[in-house]
Amino acid sequence: MSPAKDRRGFPGGREYPSSTLGVTSRSAKLRLQRVSKTFSTNHGPIEALREIDLEIREEEFLCIVGPSGGGKSTLLNLIAGLEQPDTGEVWCNGSPITGPGPDRVVIFQEPALFPWLTVLGNVEFGLRIRGEAKAGRRERALDALRLVHLYRFRDAFVHQLSGGMKQRVALARALVMDPAILLMDEPFGALDAQTRDLLHAELQAIWTKTKKTIVFVTHNVREAACLGDRVILLTARPGRIKREFCVDLPRPRQIEDPGTITLARMILAELKDEVRKVFREELGNGDDH
Amino acid sequence: MATTIRRTLFYLVILAAWEVLFRLRLWPEFLFPSPFQVFRALLEGFAEQRYLVGIATSLRRILVGYGVAVLLGTLLGLLQARWRFLDETLGSLILGLQTLPSICWLPLALLWFGLNERAIIFVVIMGSLLSIAIATEHGVKHTPPLLIRAAQTMGARGLKLYVAVILPAALPSVIEGMKQGWSFAWRSLMAGELLFVSLGLGQLLSMGRELNDMSQVVAVMLVIIGIGLGMDRLVFARLATSVRHRWGLQTP
Repeated sequence: MSPAKDRRGFPGGREYPSSTLGVTSRSAKLRLQRVSKTFSTNHGPIEALREIDLEIREEEFLCIVGPSGGGKSTLLNLIAGLEQPDTGEVWCNGSPITGPGPDRVVIFQEPALFPWLTVLGNVEFGLRIRGEAKAGRRERALDALRLVHLYRFRDAFVHQLSGGMKQRVALARALVMDPAILLMDEPFGALDAQTRDLLHAELQAIWTKTKKTIVFVTHNVREAACLGDRVILLTARPGRIKREFCVDLPRPRQIEDPGTITLARMILAELKDEVRKVFREELGNGDDH
Repeated sequence: MATTIRRTLFYLVILAAWEVLFRLRLWPEFLFPSPFQVFRALLEGFAEQRYLVGIATSLRRILVGYGVAVLLGTLLGLLQARWRFLDETLGSLILGLQTLPSICWLPLALLWFGLNERAIIFVVIMGSLLSIAIATEHGVKHTPPLLIRAAQTMGARGLKLYVAVILPAALPSVIEGMKQGWSFAWRSLMAGELLFVSLGLGQLLSMGRELNDMSQVVAVMLVIIGIGLGMDRLVFARLATSVRHRWGLQTP
């Protein structure tokens, strides 16, 4: 039995029916089967992921936490199609993923907005690439900007916005494509705590409204407990699934809710073991030199 | 405002010093004219339309040569950034040729094309082509990878990725290259015209020397500076500033 099967529900939370854990479930949006990925670097190969088995349901908000450098982002990039697995397969809607595509838009830690376009131009970008008519795409881009409360700033240039506003533009730029899946790679990691709290509320509201499937990578366990339906904890390198926490707390949640804090504490206790392993390994490597 | 005043004062002081030197009669008049004589030569030159013909001829040559250089240079830079093979081969050749002053192409051009317009335009092209190609290649290669990945996840690939992301991202660098290319082209043109070609500003300059007319030499030099500076300030500096401002690289 692989560690991926070692799951534990959060007390007070609900256990998922076993069908969602099995191989054949109707509502599985994304499926990773025995996925491994190793990078070759100047200092030798680095095994980022080892035999990951994971299913993500339609309309699910999944958070992935783990120690830094533990392959969280690699997992997301594999789903995005920006990386290819060495072994194993990644499936989306029953077909294998071969490359990046507009059904799986990524929001990165840095907003990655195009500085030569206005806010509106950035939000329209994906629709323009898709070849949609000008009038229609403008209308939808403006709607997306209303959704993230940036309608007033539609004609601003990117460098005139704050970090939190930029990340909201990135969110609007992704949502306007109406992707089946939203992939978020520590999107709020570089923001201050107050802005992050606001964006947590905004993201939950948007998710409740649009019911996108969201895969959200973070190193912040409280963020994961606050946002996810389910939280996956990855081990230190090579990344494997260590635990799975199902969250059934009422929404909208806030980061200081007692339920969120209790769950975060549980995840953190598990995570700390992994962080210690990373730390020991780094110290060990230090002795070699 | 204070800068303008300081600058005006600076040039007035230079003019005054020039006039004082002239009045000291250290050198014969035909070797060291006064500012006034130069100014008169300038007016006469324009009145007799000699300068206008010269300016028109030189500008036509540079527009053709520089235009071709911009097109070819951008294309070359793009190809080089796209294919590693071209970068490793052609790229090294371009870097090597860039160290060759473009006027050194003149003997070759004369043999190939003869004593005519095409030879001088060839020299102008060789003067600016390479720096434009290098700047384009640099701009394309330094497109932030994150922007490319973001565009890819939104479905951009192939030519669309180039047109919608890579070219705009390279634009600030391309404009810098065009600016530098312009000044190289202008220098090459003047050097070429000085050496042999009829009409044009360079020709007026060497005519002044043959006539021992120093005021004409200085007057034509001022015209050449004026045109070079004008293009730089009115076209390229504005273009670069607006791009840098829009990209957020520079606060207004």
